[in-house]
Amino acid sequence: MIDPVFTLTLRALLLQKRTIVLALVAAAPALMALIYALARGPGSHDHSFYSDLVQQLFVPTVASLIALVFGVSAFGDEREDGTILYLVATPQARLRLVLAKIAAAWAAALILLVPSLVASGFLSLGHGRTAGLIGWPLLGVVLASLAYCAAAVLLSLYTRRPIVIGVIYILLWEGSIATFAASAAKLSISAYGRAFVGHVLPQASRPVAGTAVSGIVLIAVAAVAAWATARALGRVELP
Amino acid sequence: MSAPAIEFTGVSRWFGDTVALADVSFTADGGVIGLLGHNGAGKSTTLKLSAGFSTPSSGVVRIFGVDPRRTPAVYRRVGIVPDHSPPWPFLSARRVVELTARLHRVDDFRTAAAAAIETVGLEAAADRPVGEFSHGMRQRVKLAQALAHDPELLLLDEPLNGLDPAQRSHVIELLTRLGQEGRTVIVSSHVLHEVERMAPRVLVLVNGHLVAEGATDAIRRLISERPRRVLVSPDGNGRELARELLGLADVDAVRLANGTIEIETSDPTALSRELPLAAQRTATLLRGIRPVGDDLESVYAYLHERARGQAR
Repeated sequence: MIDPVFTLTLRALLLQKRTIVLALVAAAPALMALIYALARGPGSHDHSFYSDLVQQLFVPTVASLIALVFGVSAFGDEREDGTILYLVATPQARLRLVLAKIAAAWAAALILLVPSLVASGFLSLGHGRTAGLIGWPLLGVVLASLAYCAAAVLLSLYTRRPIVIGVIYILLWEGSIATFAASAAKLSISAYGRAFVGHVLPQASRPVAGTAVSGIVLIAVAAVAAWATARALGRVELP
Repeated sequence: MSAPAIEFTGVSRWFGDTVALADVSFTADGGVIGLLGHNGAGKSTTLKLSAGFSTPSSGVVRIFGVDPRRTPAVYRRVGIVPDHSPPWPFLSARRVVELTARLHRVDDFRTAAAAAIETVGLEAAADRPVGEFSHGMRQRVKLAQALAHDPELLLLDEPLNGLDPAQRSHVIELLTRLGQEGRTVIVSSHVLHEVERMAPRVLVLVNGHLVAEGATDAIRRLISERPRRVLVSPDGNGRELARELLGLADVDAVRLANGTIEIETSDPTALSRELPLAAQRTATLLRGIRPVGDDLESVYAYLHERARGQAR
């Protein structure tokens, strides 16, 4: 039986007006790939456009922002309107509630991201596409989204401005500092997500870690964030 | 011996420099208890602390002997009506109540929800989305979701708000019955006459202080026996009438200023009998009689002052 908190949260997230904007953001890479597909010469097997699209736009910006917004909304909106009280005042284990929230935010993010990434791959790779060329970046997006969602859910309980803080982290830390300071990249979710792309496509810079380590790090980030959120639920001031 | 439903021991809660609750101690176990106070008195803070939505800055809050923030399992025994709107406005009332019953681990949550909806008289609208409901109907949805899992303790934040007189009577009857069944029902309100219809015991909060606690009748007596002030506007300068009033047994003080007489009395009923006679004796025509400080704020202020005096 599917957890009712998961289904309710997923429904609430997908019914939001901002989901339309997020869907447009998610569709942007696929649209760019379509334009590229129409413009490139027939029989071209150049992977560089797809590689740049995934590594410089999809993982670090599109996936991160969409996961951030859904992750923040999963608890944040309910904190605003008081719905969170009706969940907290139940005998459900706090970790179970948090996992349902993270899973819902993650599912909502993947509903927008997966079709866009697959379409981008099909369109920009043309006949040169393989399961690996689409599958590995997809795995990176899936795991990075999980980590972003979990971190955003945590952020939404601890701060009143989770979106602002999340955007600063994504744009300033990951998008700027971590790109030229190798040690800073170790604290970048997107860098670990991009490591999966590097498994099948050339990378501009050295990957922060191999795919196995990156996968473990991203899952560990999600697990620690889930645990910390469950603890926070019993500590933070509710409306 | 089982632990009481609610136990506050020296509980204070402050937000920065603002003290929301100051050293409050009480125990509640069985029956309806009114939590009375003006807006900002600390009623909602008390309920939030009881519900585990907030942590005390100092002191200890226990529900059935445990800290609800650390032991969520205790919520199986607790029903809460928060100040906020019901959850999930896109769902029907029935679905909302079923879901909250299911989250409270009620096996037959559909039957439990149907019974709770019937109890609050919402059957006709049960399949409409909550988002379309009036304030009164939303209140009843909140009450139904709090009742569906058959809790032993109910924490209700102003549950009569937005209800029409017939609905109010129905809810008051329902809460009275729940209290008589042995459940502990804490109801916050700023309206004394509403609370006294259902709660044999009240806790009065003023500016975060528990200023009075006990049987509702006794609190009512305390309030009615407090010193009252009456402004009398005599025709003329009123000196003679003021002098006459000073001689009355039930008059504690008389002040004459700008042609108006301010009388302080501990027995307004006796004064209402004596004042016309005194005016007759001094041949004074009365142009106006007006009580001062009879509003609820003044009543609470009096209880606060009285509690401070007792503390000293």
